[in-house]
Amino acid sequence: MADTLGFIDPTVGGERARIPLAPRPMDLAGATVGLLDNTKEQGDVILQTLGEMLQAHYGVARVVMRRKEHYSKPAATAIIEMMAREVHVAITAVGG
Amino acid sequence: MAQDVDEFEFFLDKPWSDGLPVVTPTEARVQRMLQGTHCAPDEIVGHIPPMLEPATVRTVAIHALMAGCKPAYLPVVLGGLRLMLREEFNLNGVQGTMHGVAPLMIVNGPYAQHIGLHGGNGCFGPGFRANASIGRAIRLLLLNLGGGIPGVASATIFATPMRYTACLTENIADSPWESLAVSKDYAAHDNVITCAMVESPRLCFDDVSQDPTRLLTGLASSMTDLCSWNMHTRSDMIVAMGPQHAALCANAGFSRAEVHRRLCRMAGRKVRELKGGGNWRRERALAFPIQVDPDDDECFIPAIKDPYDLQLIVAGGWGPCTAICHGWSGGSRAVHGTYAV
Repeated sequence: MADTLGFIDPTVGGERARIPLAPRPMDLAGATVGLLDNTKEQGDVILQTLGEMLQAHYGVARVVMRRKEHYSKPAATAIIEMMAREVHVAITAVGG
Repeated sequence: MAQDVDEFEFFLDKPWSDGLPVVTPTEARVQRMLQGTHCAPDEIVGHIPPMLEPATVRTVAIHALMAGCKPAYLPVVLGGLRLMLREEFNLNGVQGTMHGVAPLMIVNGPYAQHIGLHGGNGCFGPGFRANASIGRAIRLLLLNLGGGIPGVASATIFATPMRYTACLTENIADSPWESLAVSKDYAAHDNVITCAMVESPRLCFDDVSQDPTRLLTGLASSMTDLCSWNMHTRSDMIVAMGPQHAALCANAGFSRAEVHRRLCRMAGRKVRELKGGGNWRRERALAFPIQVDPDDDECFIPAIKDPYDLQLIVAGGWGPCTAICHGWSGGSRAVHGTYAV
């Protein structure tokens, strides 16, 4: 649109990636759930409690917990790939 | 240009600005701006997090134009952005953080002088086109291509006025010492940018001290605020000594390196004090990159956990004042490097 007005859209710089969301399961029975601790204080406590509740009340078969290197940085590729390979659902928590 | 569209209002409505009018990017103006660099317009400089939109030389030129840069400023904008996209700078984290830090650019070398970057009287404030527009260009890129907008990708509580612009050079003419870049082993003729993620400067007046030890005691105190993240994690800090304070140290025989060493050693608090307020948590202390005993009330916790994190420069005008910028909590390391002109 901006172009037709004679000036330039500053946000157009190249190809944009579009990443679709993974489908959300409606039932966790028998599922493996990944829990990703972002390293902020008490995030691990929240996730551990959540994992126990998911197993006790929602039939989750297995919980896998991993910890990021640093809360402000993306998770390491190895962790993301492991989660993608081994878990059906991944949950993260922000402590503080 | 369409007669019924006010371009200033258009860019503010999109929103493609920092809240102030921008220079309208037309093709003719962009072509003039691109004359400021030898780089190809379609070269990808990088992807700006967290939206990861690609910044090409052309889009950087568009934003430099919008910010009010002259073509001659473009190499500094390109050089600064390339540095900020280094992994250790952790731009992704800063774009989203609750904190309100900004990437401050300290530009050293002859090209900074050539384009009129200012490091003297009033250098953190308005009135200097190169300082104002280079830093603004970076901010517009972080907003428009990175999405670092409050309510979009930024959770910042307050932000900072430094998010309008944050760029200066040193006051080399009035400094008794070598530049920051030379202290990092660059040559005096190299064009170098150092970037650190910092808060707004706080001003530290001392018109009493006649000896450096007393002066540095006061400055060290300003480096150790209980609510500063510098006391509770590894974090950057910039100490911009006014030339008068720097002269006081130099006249007593203190080199730049000696002042740096002393500030690293003197700035800190005991665990007992840190427990009394602010962000102290035992587990944070255990995560320091240095060995401390958080259970020992007499244990000294330095504000600077690694000497690399303290950028000591000489800037500002004559007067008994030094500016100190505290850092961010989220794991950003200062970056520096040369840039092509």
